[in-house]
Amino acid sequence: MKLASLSTSARHSSQPQDLTPGAGPAAFHFHTVTWQADGFGFDATSGEFFTASPAALIVMQALGEGMARSQILDRLTARFEVTRSTAERDLESFLAELVHIGLTPESN
Amino acid sequence: MNASPVIAVTGLHRGENPQPGSAVIRSLRRVYPELRIIGLVYDSLESGLFSEEDAPDAAFTMSYPGAGVEAFWQRLDEIREIERFDVLIPCLDAEMAPLVDTPEKLRERGILACLPTAASFKCRDKSKLADLCERTHCRTPQTLAVSDVGSLHQAAASLGGNVFVKGRFYEARHAITPAAREAAYWHMLEQWGAPVLVQENVQGEEYNVVGLGDGRGRMLGSCSIRKMLRTASGKGFGGMIVRDPQLDAIAESLIVELRWNGPFELEFVKSEGPKGEYCLIEINPRFPAWCDFPSSLDCNLPAAALELALGWQPREPLRRASPGKFFIRHAIDMTGDLCDLAALTTLGQFFRQPREFIPHPATSRGL
Repeated sequence: MKLASLSTSARHSSQPQDLTPGAGPAAFHFHTVTWQADGFGFDATSGEFFTASPAALIVMQALGEGMARSQILDRLTARFEVTRSTAERDLESFLAELVHIGLTPESN
Repeated sequence: MNASPVIAVTGLHRGENPQPGSAVIRSLRRVYPELRIIGLVYDSLESGLFSEEDAPDAAFTMSYPGAGVEAFWQRLDEIREIERFDVLIPCLDAEMAPLVDTPEKLRERGILACLPTAASFKCRDKSKLADLCERTHCRTPQTLAVSDVGSLHQAAASLGGNVFVKGRFYEARHAITPAAREAAYWHMLEQWGAPVLVQENVQGEEYNVVGLGDGRGRMLGSCSIRKMLRTASGKGFGGMIVRDPQLDAIAESLIVELRWNGPFELEFVKSEGPKGEYCLIEINPRFPAWCDFPSSLDCNLPAAALELALGWQPREPLRRASPGKFFIRHAIDMTGDLCDLAALTTLGQFFRQPREFIPHPATSRGL
């Protein structure tokens, strides 16, 4: 099992509803992987499965919706207790990780 | 032919390196529970003989492959004097060559089987895989056949030193050092005879495809998995169903090229990285030990193979098993009785269900 992580901590006080398993976004597809709201992802093509943090799920869903990086950062800083510079660093690191584990092509 | 066909199945040992026979029996009984099945075994301790769910109705010991082809046919004739089976489903690689090379010997005895032609069988031989892959534009690790220690080391050096040493029919050992290579070489030579294969080591995830060819280039059904768990010897102990159009296309091109008739298992490694490609490791000319897993998901390939051998119309199209279903093998202890062991060891046969007590009520297939 591979891990798609994003270390950003949750902003519990403001919008906890987004981070509760089952209460967040419904299942969605990101490239070849189907992600469940609880952070479990399955790639039917490769048979691999993954886990992702709530923040990672938000990023992948945003990427799937075609959001620009600045919009994704807006979403992350609104939902998690994180400075924009930290979120930016974590986002870059996460995008590189997505490429590394083959979940998104390098052009993204 | 018997009013209700009697089926002979080999390869009943589900030990550390499980053979497919018991899985084939279980699959056949899912569709034809009253089918009379006999086991042809090479050892009185083949575990499938003592299973409550997968055991054959009767079992007979066979002569070892080392005893030669004539002894094989002679023993088959002796067994058929007692149990005149109609269909043979061979489940061991070492049995395939004499059957495929002389199909007339099966025909003249009235034994039906679902086997590839000698030509397609030879084309999938480990030593011929590169030619097949070239014709089908499929990647395969470089493999060299060797028959002495000098050429073993030479072959390994030309493949970068990090290689697999493989037996002609079964087994593979990862070997990096010269000493490990030599030990593996002598083991394979002793177990499976010459030549021994030296194969480039491709790192990545392993994928297997089980299927059934109709002999005209069509696949009647298939199921693809990624190996999730592996034993120390590399055998799959768990697998997840996948559906990859790229893998399907490769499998189809191989079966079209071979015009394969009967069951097969394709073994691939997908090289690591986002641009990883499927690399064909080998083609097994029989069902794999995990063939009952797709049967549990309405893709019963052994039952379809039986229908193909008998010339019956398939019951219904085989379903494609859904990605996300997986199997995990579970080893359990079974209870045997000394009487059965004694009968098999001294007489070469034992009957769990005597022939005369087996009713064959009409089922949906008229068994």
